[in-house]
Amino acid sequence: MNNLTQRARMQPVLGVGTGIAAFASAAIVFLILIFLLVFAWPAIRFNGSGILTGVIWNIGNQYGSSTVTHNGVTAQAGASFGGLVFVFGTIATSALAMVIAVPLSFLVAVALVYRVPRKLQPLANTLVELMAGVPSVVYGLWGIVVLVPWVGNQLGPFAQAHLSWVPLVRGETGSGNGLLAAGIILALMVLPIMVATLRDVILAQPPTIFEASMALGSTTWQAVTRAVFPSVRKGFLAAVLVALGRALGETMAVLMVCGAAINQFPSNIFQAVNTIAAVIVSQLDSALTDASGMAQRSLAELALVLFLITLVVNVVARLTLRGADRSAQ
Amino acid sequence: MRHQRISRLASRAWWSVSVLALAGVLVVLFGIFWFVAVRGVPALRPALFTTVTSGVAGGLENAIAGTLLLVGAGLVLVTLVGIGTAIWIVEYAPPRAQDVSRFLIDVLAGVPSIVVGYFLYVVLVEGLGWGFSLVAGAFALTIVMLPYVVRSSDLALSGVPQALREGAFALGARRATVLFGVAIPWAIPGMLTGLLVATGIGLGETAPLIYTAGWSNFMPSLAPTHSPVGYLTYVVWTFISQPFPQAHALAYAAAALLMIFIFLTNLVSRSAVEYWSARSRRG
Amino acid sequence: MLQAPDREDQPLMYVTTTKNAPEPSVATKLQIERLSVFYGSFQAIRDASLEVPENCVMSLIGPSGCGKSTFIRAVNRMHDLSPDVRVEGKVLLDGANIYAPGVDPVTIRHRIGMVFQRPNPFPKTVFENVVYGPRIHGIGNRKKLMEIAERSLRHAALWDEVKDRLDKSALDLSGGQQQRMCIARVLAVEPEVILMDEPASALDPIATSKIEDLIGELQRFYTVVIVTHSMQQAARISDYTAFFLMGELIEIGTTTEVFTKPKDKRTEDYITGRYG
Repeated sequence: MNNLTQRARMQPVLGVGTGIAAFASAAIVFLILIFLLVFAWPAIRFNGSGILTGVIWNIGNQYGSSTVTHNGVTAQAGASFGGLVFVFGTIATSALAMVIAVPLSFLVAVALVYRVPRKLQPLANTLVELMAGVPSVVYGLWGIVVLVPWVGNQLGPFAQAHLSWVPLVRGETGSGNGLLAAGIILALMVLPIMVATLRDVILAQPPTIFEASMALGSTTWQAVTRAVFPSVRKGFLAAVLVALGRALGETMAVLMVCGAAINQFPSNIFQAVNTIAAVIVSQLDSALTDASGMAQRSLAELALVLFLITLVVNVVARLTLRGADRSAQ
Repeated sequence: MRHQRISRLASRAWWSVSVLALAGVLVVLFGIFWFVAVRGVPALRPALFTTVTSGVAGGLENAIAGTLLLVGAGLVLVTLVGIGTAIWIVEYAPPRAQDVSRFLIDVLAGVPSIVVGYFLYVVLVEGLGWGFSLVAGAFALTIVMLPYVVRSSDLALSGVPQALREGAFALGARRATVLFGVAIPWAIPGMLTGLLVATGIGLGETAPLIYTAGWSNFMPSLAPTHSPVGYLTYVVWTFISQPFPQAHALAYAAAALLMIFIFLTNLVSRSAVEYWSARSRRG
Repeated sequence: MLQAPDREDQPLMYVTTTKNAPEPSVATKLQIERLSVFYGSFQAIRDASLEVPENCVMSLIGPSGCGKSTFIRAVNRMHDLSPDVRVEGKVLLDGANIYAPGVDPVTIRHRIGMVFQRPNPFPKTVFENVVYGPRIHGIGNRKKLMEIAERSLRHAALWDEVKDRLDKSALDLSGGQQQRMCIARVLAVEPEVILMDEPASALDPIATSKIEDLIGELQRFYTVVIVTHSMQQAARISDYTAFFLMGELIEIGTTTEVFTKPKDKRTEDYITGRYG
């Protein structure tokens, strides 16, 4: 009995304690937003729209004592914080990744569900899980040592020789570090999310949809693409958006293979790019040398831009998923 | 009919393409495993575990200790906060607050980990002046792991059969008694799986640590602040870009260790789930 | 007014009617010879043989688990979709074995349509549901598809109820309407035989009686084989009735014979309600 009364006394404590935990968890998103905004505020005033439209990223002259003041905010002379190259790179690498990963994940998922013998399915599911668990630096390591040389030495020259009529392929192909390598790595990294989701939503469908199509004289492929897929489209779309959010924010693997372009746009898919996430990491050292602190604040502004982009993508994903749940009822 | 023959051929062709796609992805996946194994395992000398990194050579003792310390500290925090959050959401929250907190946790899951890292850099490392430190790094991992732990614990607790709760309440049990006596024991496998998944994620994270834990060539000092901590993923990232074979060997060794840790976590989580579900089936 | 389905655009059949087939007064549409179905090592159907004359309705009755659903799924080769199921014996459609080597099950399912126990609309519009089959078979012309949709829906006695909401989701129809739409979807493919697996078991009495009326109409143009758990239903709608028990075909005859003077003791026991 003593035990019970003790537990009863714990009850309000438990409610309050877990309440605080929940409040803290829920508040993190807002804290991130507020603190980044406050910290970046001087940079937002200094850069104006330049953070989204400017091409040149230059923290200014560190050795002179001269400064430049804009909108009442001071930075090192010659400083310019244009983030367009990074915004472009973020969107381009993710878009390329989705172009590769969306059809690939569809093909892989339907092969998993309909072509892998039932006995091997647990093994296949474990592999998908493991693929999702490979750390991003390991993908990056493989990218640097295997993928980039392959793109630079095999795929690039091949494309130059035979595919020069394709607009985004034509031109200098370089070392292999660049948009294509980043897109391929990102595609591999987000593939398991989409495959696992599509597999789950297909398996959650009653088999009658597949059978109904077969009974109308369709081929199995038609049954999958025209009857089963339309009924899981929303769930898949939500997974695609979650994967896109992941790709937009992925840092290490992209950083390791993107070529870290600054102040220039790629003219084809082989050339160097940079993403917001990657530039935040790669610019840390130089930002710390900026005595005015404006470089650090501008990186915070970039982080804010990335936060907002992924926020929109993820909120749309949640709403889609909610819509999918509703239409499934 | 001609059209049917075309459909039949198309069906066969597409199925072949899809099986080839699956095979291709598996080849790449095994290629990555093979690559890490072939390059990393030979680099795993015993000395790695007993010497610290010096410059671009030396061992990984500091990084291994740092990784375990950061993930361990993160796990302690995320267990308290994450499971606490899930308990509140399922047991105490009014329906509207339930929806809102679940939504916010989902949104947090989508926040890029580098943004989390930079946020903590601004607030803890710079703002509070803690410098690169164990606590800042552990906080970063906590935030990154939190959504997984909350979601899995939430699912596990919500899945406790209503009849079970009602049965306990009908015997005159109080809420806390039902929670600790009935709901949590029932939900433990799910919570444990969530924690293990989070461990895997924590082990593999880099981006949020660069700005919070920093890097150190020395063994972690256990000082909560003002003392940077090294970790394995950092070694993989930086040492592969150095032009020295010793540095490369360290990067491969670190990658192999990470993969081994993650495989083990995965293995443990599977056997734990099997053990617990077998146990609960026996009743 | 019902119109006879237009057979002009019927695809070339893989199998053609055999010339030597005997010519009884009513042609045999389906002839099943010594059919056995195995799930792994379990034999669900033992050596069942029966004939279904053209343009008639045959009911398959029997207690649940007796194998009647398994039986009709063998008639349009639906079992091909399950790797663990093995079918032995012959199913002759117009005298040609649909299990003969080289016969494409897709062509067979085109000629032998199937309606399932629960309505299974695709999550598409009513229109897209009905023209699913024709689209699959390569008809893309919207006007032509519209004609097919109207004809099939009229034929399924559903046109008047849905003609104003062809572009609405089929999931918004009532259960009975959904099932009639699924029948229309089968009719749009212009099959020769329609198999129905307890098509009214998930429906209320009014919707059930509509489906029963519809089956009576369909009989004029199609051969219908229907599995039912309701003996009253079998008596109301069918010309012939076959009784299955534990995977065996016990008795087959005209519905009147089977219900009024069954030859087998077990049939009599079932009819009089001595089985569950």
